[in-house]
Amino acid sequence: MLISKKVEFSASHVCRSPQLTDAENERVYGQAANPLGHGHNYVVEVAIEGEPDPVTGMILDLKRLKEILEDRVLEVYDHRMLNREVEPFGRVVPTVENIAIDIWNRIDPHIGGRARLHSIRVHETGELSVEYRGGR
Amino acid sequence: MIVRLSKRYAFPASHRLHSPALTAEENRATYGKCNNPLGHGHNYEVELTVRGPVDAVTGRVVDLAALDALAEKEILAPFRYRNLNEEVPLFQSIVPTTENLGRELDRRLRAAWAKAFTGDSPVLEKVRIWETERNICEITEGQ
Repeated sequence: MLISKKVEFSASHVCRSPQLTDAENERVYGQAANPLGHGHNYVVEVAIEGEPDPVTGMILDLKRLKEILEDRVLEVYDHRMLNREVEPFGRVVPTVENIAIDIWNRIDPHIGGRARLHSIRVHETGELSVEYRGGR
Repeated sequence: MIVRLSKRYAFPASHRLHSPALTAEENRATYGKCNNPLGHGHNYEVELTVRGPVDAVTGRVVDLAALDALAEKEILAPFRYRNLNEEVPLFQSIVPTTENLGRELDRRLRAAWAKAFTGDSPVLEKVRIWETERNICEITEGQ
């Protein structure tokens, strides 16, 4: 069974790779390559997999999940300039793909007991989203 | 490091659901208001889900400019502001339900995919089409 929780954060970023030329960056990232940055209201859906506990009827304590998301994701990402204030985006381009992988890496070690992290879905805009299932 | 990326597009079009193999009464019973002889329209939304490894340099699963160009050419331009029954040859022989329209979008994308994306990735995993907010059809790779 899957249970998912949604949180939001707002952040700015620049999508440019130092390994590409200016022309290549603009072709690959389009307007997102603007060197002065721009921002989004990101929506993150975290799906947890497991069977409900026979006593509590819960896969995991949702209050605990909320704390993990606040401490490990929102505290780090909300109202930040990702390239300069959030690791690893000093050296990795903060595409929505890499953001989903980073969020997985931040919260996966804290999900335990009968629960397992199933997927991280990140919506960058109403048109663009990604889902990461731990590399599967 | 496989990631799935979804991109949403939209186009308006009109259609009428009517099968020549059914009687007038059966058509009304089967398609309801969608059988209105003069047709009607929708703002269709299409979401393409692609799957692949994240490129180490670009941080991307797919070249979004190439995906947008493919979508525009294969599934948006041919249907945008069209009367599906009258202007799309396929729908002169089959009924333009969301199912048949979704299958046609999937077919067109897969036919043009290898030319747009050389190599093993990204893979087109899923095509979802919204006829309205409440009427959604999904076509998954290999199913």
